[in-house]
Formats: sequence, structure tokens, C-alpha cells
Amino acid sequence: MSNTLKPYLNAVKATLTAALCLENFASQLVERHNKPEVEAGSTKEVLLNSVVISRNENEKVLIEPSINSVRVSIKIKQADEIEQILCHKFTRFLMLRAENFVILRKKPIEGYSISFLITNFHTEQMFKHKLVDFIIQFMEEVDKEISEMKLSLNARARIVAEEYLKQFSG
Amino acid sequence: MILLEVHNKIIYEKIAQAFSSTDEKADNITEQLADLDGVIYHLTSSKKEGYVVLSISMNGYSQLVKFGADEVLRREYGPYIVEPESGYDFSICLNQQDLPATEEERDALYKKFSLLKRNLLAAPFEKAFIAQENKQTTEIMEVPYRDNESIYVFALQDHVTVIFSTEFKEDTDKIFGKVFLQEFADARRQPAVQTAPQVLFSKEPPLELRNLNTLRDSEDINYVTFVLFPRHYTEGPVREQTISNIPLFRDYLHYHIKCSKAYMHSRMRARVDSFLKVLNRAKPEVALDQIEKKTASGRTFRKFK
Repeated sequence: MSNTLKPYLNAVKATLTAALCLENFASQLVERHNKPEVEAGSTKEVLLNSVVISRNENEKVLIEPSINSVRVSIKIKQADEIEQILCHKFTRFLMLRAENFVILRKKPIEGYSISFLITNFHTEQMFKHKLVDFIIQFMEEVDKEISEMKLSLNARARIVAEEYLKQFSG
Repeated sequence: MILLEVHNKIIYEKIAQAFSSTDEKADNITEQLADLDGVIYHLTSSKKEGYVVLSISMNGYSQLVKFGADEVLRREYGPYIVEPESGYDFSICLNQQDLPATEEERDALYKKFSLLKRNLLAAPFEKAFIAQENKQTTEIMEVPYRDNESIYVFALQDHVTVIFSTEFKEDTDKIFGKVFLQEFADARRQPAVQTAPQVLFSKEPPLELRNLNTLRDSEDINYVTFVLFPRHYTEGPVREQTISNIPLFRDYLHYHIKCSKAYMHSRMRARVDSFLKVLNRAKPEVALDQIEKKTASGRTFRKFK
């Protein structure tokens, strides 16, 4: 792990642990409704200050807490257009399976690659520290996966080109 | 399978099957087959009368005839050529009584039949190679072998240039294609392929083609240029090999782009599964609200919902 990644992830972990302090909170505007306040945004007093933790201009995390829900948005590193397309494909692939992931939001917040929405119901059913671990592990592996895919694409391209051209020099 | 096969395996097998005396399954065949580059084959055979007819339809057949495809085909399939079936460009027929005696010869003949598409495309290349050997130049021969995509072949004073125009339809294909083409252009640095033809690629049509009025103006089209020197087409097996391989370039490139995409897809699937596993670890085995909590006196709590 590179030496800037560790403090970055530690900061995200600490902030998330602090932010995931959720309680049940019914809507104040509509009776018998219970919405994630950070999404509804209709009750200003239950929204907390959002935090941006950034490693550099290309990689950052936005954490928006509220009384009964937290929204975590991650911007994944995209150095060139290959990484961009791979990242786009990968996040799209995940978000199409958002139903299985429970805490995954089907669309990312603008300016970010992927978003999670954790509500008090999730923290009631699942261990909070494991949820935080999941997000941290996700951030670690997503970068690794994208750079591995890129490497394998380049490696394949090289082999393919070489094999084809070898036919002419035999 | 990294390299694509030049011959059409289905045709080869079907013809062999039609003439094999031992194969019980051999029956009358009436089949339509597709090959790369939108080629359609029609294969019919009759067990009783003992013949097989193979017809081909291909984009740009009329252009190929202009560049001498007729002669090439006559040379290759001379005695087997018949009137083309309706809806097809060219037909060949093989009769049982014409079959050579030995197994190997027969096999070679079946192979030749399955190379029909390759021989059809060979004409402009042969023409250019021969012209260059005689130090002549040729006009630009354009083979529109697919909709929107063409091969341009022409001989210059000291070499033959082959240019492919290829279209990438999807965004992903475009980027993957760029990576692949870059590797093709850089591959000559490898010691193993230093004598291979030079490969160039660009989004702009190469200078030689600028004056053609058949060029399509589109963002998605890439031009790939192969510069072939006389060592790549010395008469004999080397030339035959080159003629077989060059027209397959486009298919080879696109095939591998598709393969990479499939590989990425299976990788992402595996990764999603592993993420799901991590997430599911966060769920306690017994749901938190199902655990029975008892007081010291044995009373239980129940949660109201």
C-alpha cells in the first residue's frame, strides 16, 4: 500500500464511523413517512455538515450525514481514457446490481463515480463496523481491480499484435 | 486460439462428410452458412447424385472481379466452376466421380473449397504484388468488403501499401481499439517481429486516399496502413501466407477486442461476487431483532413493530 493511501483510508474510516450514528427518524412533513433525510433534504435541521476527504484532485470521498442516513460518494481515480471507460463499466455493472448490494445507490452523486446510502435500517440489521470495513475494502480493491484490468488489456494487446505480425517474419 | 483460421471449418467438414462413405449421418445437405465480413455461403449436396454445390455471396464482389478475381478463381477452381445460383455471386460444384483417389488429395481439395473466400479476396493483392515486382505502380484498388469498411491496395515503386478502414461503433471498442492499434504500431520494436510489415494508424485518411470520393467522413473510422516490402511477398508460400493473413486483419482485431470485453465482463462478475461476500459478512447470522433477550427472572422482551 502506498504511503498516501493509508492515511487517506484511515481518515475515511474514522469519519464514517463517526457519521454512522443513526437513529430512526420519521418525516416531519408527511405523516407515516420515513425517508432518508439526506436524500429528501426537506428538513434542514436534521442535516449535518458534509465532509470531503480527498487524496488528490482525482480521488475523493464525500460523506453527507444526517439524522437517519449517511450518503457516501466515492470518486475513483481515472488517469486516462482507458481507466475512465473501465471505471465507468465497472461502476455501472455494480449499480445494475444495486438491489443485491442493499446500501448501494443506483446513481452516483454528480461529480462522483459511485455512491452508497446507508440508513438507520441498515445499521440496525448489520454490524456498523463491518459496514465501514466494506466501504474501506471496496475503495482499496476498486483501484486495484481497475489497474489490473488495464494491465491485462495492454498485455493482451501486445501479445495479439506480436502473434499477428510474427506470421510475416517467419 | 489466438490466430483465426483462414479456411472455413464448417464447409470443410460438411463437404468431407457429404462424400464420406462411412458416415451414417451423411444426408442431403441444404445449408446457409455465414463467414466473417458478411460473407454468406450456400451449401447443397445430394447423396444420390453425388455432388456438392457451394455458392458464395460477398460484399464488393463486382469490384473484386474488376481486379481480376475471375482469373484467380479460374486458376484455383477451373473445372469446378458452374453457373452462379440465383442470389449468389459465384458457385462451384464438386462431383463424386471427379474425386481424386487418395485420401490426402481429397483432403486438399476439400480444403481448397473451404478457402473460397480467401481466394476471392486474393485478386487485388496478387495484382499489386506482381505489378510491384515488375516495378510498376497500380491505381488504388478499393474493396468495399463490408458496409462502411474497405480495404485499399496499391503498388508503389518499391513497396505495396494496404490500407484498412475500420469502424468502431461503441465507445469501449474505440478505446480498446486504440490500445490494440498502438500495440500493432509499436510491435516492431520486439526482436521477434522486426522484419514484419510496418503498421501505422490514424484517424485521418492517409495522404494517398485523400483524393478518393468514396471516403466516409466519420469520427469512428480508423485507418490502418500496412507497408509491405518485397520480402513479404516473395513468390511461393510467403506470398500465399501474406495474402491469407492480411485480409483477416480486421476480423482478428475486432475478435480480440470482443474477447477482451468478455474477459473484463467475467472479471467484473467475479469481483462483484467477492464484494457481495464482504458485505454479507456485515449481516449477523441471526438477525439482531430475532435474538431472544431474557431478564433474570426468565421473562422475555419482545420488540413492537
